[in-house]
Amino acid sequence: MSTDIRPHTPAQLVRLVAGREISTRIRDKGFLIGSAVLILLILGMLVFQVVINSGADTTKIGVVGGSAGVTDALRAQGDALGTEVEVVEYADEATARSAVKDGDVDGVLLGPSGERPELLVDSGGSSTETLVQGAVQGMSVSRQLAESGVQLQAPPRVDVVALDPDADADTQAAVVALVGVVVLYSLLILFGQFVAQGVVEEKSSRVVELLLATMRPWQLLAGKVIGLGLLGLAQMLVIAVVGVAGALAFDVVDLPGRLIGTVLTVVAWFVLGYAFYASVFAAAASLVSRQEDLGSVITPASLLLVVGFVISLQAGQDPTGTLSTITSFVPGLSPLVMPVRQAAGGAEWWEVVVAVVLMLVAIATIVRVGGRIYSGALLRTGGKVKLREALHAERLT
Amino acid sequence: MLEFDGLYKAYGSNQVLEGVSFAVAPGQMFGFCGSNGAGKTTTMRIAMGLALADAGQVRWNGRPVDEAVRRRVGYMPEERGLYPKMRVGEQLTYFARLHGLDAAPAARAAASWAERLGLGERRGDRVEKLSLGNQQRVQLAAALVSEPDVLILDEPFSGLDPVGVDSLAEALLEQCRRGVPVVFSSHQLDLVERLCDAVGILARGKIVASGTVAGLRSSAVGRQLRVVAPDAPPGWAAGLPGVRVVSEQRGDTVLELGPGGDDQQVLATALTTGRVAHFAWREPTLVELFRDAVTDVREVAA
Repeated sequence: MSTDIRPHTPAQLVRLVAGREISTRIRDKGFLIGSAVLILLILGMLVFQVVINSGADTTKIGVVGGSAGVTDALRAQGDALGTEVEVVEYADEATARSAVKDGDVDGVLLGPSGERPELLVDSGGSSTETLVQGAVQGMSVSRQLAESGVQLQAPPRVDVVALDPDADADTQAAVVALVGVVVLYSLLILFGQFVAQGVVEEKSSRVVELLLATMRPWQLLAGKVIGLGLLGLAQMLVIAVVGVAGALAFDVVDLPGRLIGTVLTVVAWFVLGYAFYASVFAAAASLVSRQEDLGSVITPASLLLVVGFVISLQAGQDPTGTLSTITSFVPGLSPLVMPVRQAAGGAEWWEVVVAVVLMLVAIATIVRVGGRIYSGALLRTGGKVKLREALHAERLT
Repeated sequence: MLEFDGLYKAYGSNQVLEGVSFAVAPGQMFGFCGSNGAGKTTTMRIAMGLALADAGQVRWNGRPVDEAVRRRVGYMPEERGLYPKMRVGEQLTYFARLHGLDAAPAARAAASWAERLGLGERRGDRVEKLSLGNQQRVQLAAALVSEPDVLILDEPFSGLDPVGVDSLAEALLEQCRRGVPVVFSSHQLDLVERLCDAVGILARGKIVASGTVAGLRSSAVGRQLRVVAPDAPPGWAAGLPGVRVVSEQRGDTVLELGPGGDDQQVLATALTTGRVAHFAWREPTLVELFRDAVTDVREVAA
């Protein structure tokens, strides 16, 4: 039997702990339902967008006896009315009639260049009528002018000069980033809670004593944070893929490249935010021994998250404002505010670098201090451990 | 050989251990006794690396017990601890893996230990669904599942019914037969007396008595001799050299023989008074030894 037994490396122990976290959580009903709800919400938002935008669909018009000029005139009129026009040629009136009846086209224009053009529609058809009427009138006016020998100069084209050519795209990206931040915020709260609950569960059930007989506190902490973090990241990626694929499939966004870039930014900030909050939550949770006491110790960190979330919503509207600019550098707030500023085009590249570096420094500090608190408080069960005591308690390295 | 060597530990101004030393040989069952708060749990926690000794060392085969050695130690903490929501089989597999077994052997060991401790049917149940007695069995299985080289068990018998006590005792004896040194603490001294090859009695931070139960008896303060001589007059033994009369009641006399006392001379004297109905060394029970040891440290320290 003992040939099967060999000592573990720290990495193996961390992996074992992480594996247990994942396999336990992935079979948890609450977690599965929560994930399903999040994905449904994202899909719901997409469908909502599609319904809102559905006014801009195409109008199909059949033509009998048309010409290139007719097609151009119909298209030009469609542009003016904000709809895309598709022109279908039919050989005779009979086939055209059945096409209208079957709903293949919205209407059929008979003899557009003749004296009495006729529009066949299934019923009503006011928008189609407006379009066709305009096109036929236009053609008629040009023809009459040409017949009376008036040479028409091409009318001057109005050149549009956009002062901020990216404004539209920026707004769209900011909306995407805001949706991303909502997901990021929900997942940080959710997985932060998971970490905290897991720490308290091990303390309250005293299983921690059995665990620490085989591993060091930092290995237990690392395994827990990494295991749940991978699960969180996987969930974030699933949501990102579903969201991006849905947005592209339903044609909700104009610039797919920017969409993907924004989503990746949010995912990257999630990783940083999770490392920060998971460490804070774990250290805070290690101070108490009962789930009932958990709220009192993790509230300060949760509040910071809420503050960051509220500011990020505000930053969506005013990405260059003082509040959002300052908070986008503050570690703990930056994961929520900076992605919105970045997407809305309000952040220079060096600002992002500074925010990331500050965040990394904060994470390194929190992991050190939080790890100390965690190891100091882990074996002190019963009652709430004071922060000072935990920091100065003897540590099992 | 598992050696506890001169352990000192203080929590603030409270000096819990003041030089605890004892050794347990392979295959030996060592009963660790002491009053509440004597420091038994602290001693075991130091061995498991859950508390740091101010001085002293625990060694296994001459090597200080470190993380690698601890992985080969089965441990049962005083405060029982298991994941309440994890299933029995998975839980045992997990602990086997933490102690260094690979996935497949760990799963096999978990299944076989669940079976051996009568938990075969409950392998798929969450621990929180089990009765306390069964949770205790899972706890023991968690300590045994990695086939450890050393067992350190803190109050393993507390809370068990007599049947549970018997099956746990059997499991521990089996480990001893395998050559594993077993250390367990207990308040149930009759149990310790019945099971253990050796005992250690901890009082006020020190081991005040240790060794085999028989050895403790023979070294106990002044051996006592009980003589029942119904016709003997009061004070019949008072004049004998090296003999102190502990109690005398209607011919039933308990004598304590110090240096120079001779039991054969006592018998001869008793016979001169008439019939002798009973003549035997009185074996002190472990409870008595414990009481003596705990109440008077100086006289017993050996």
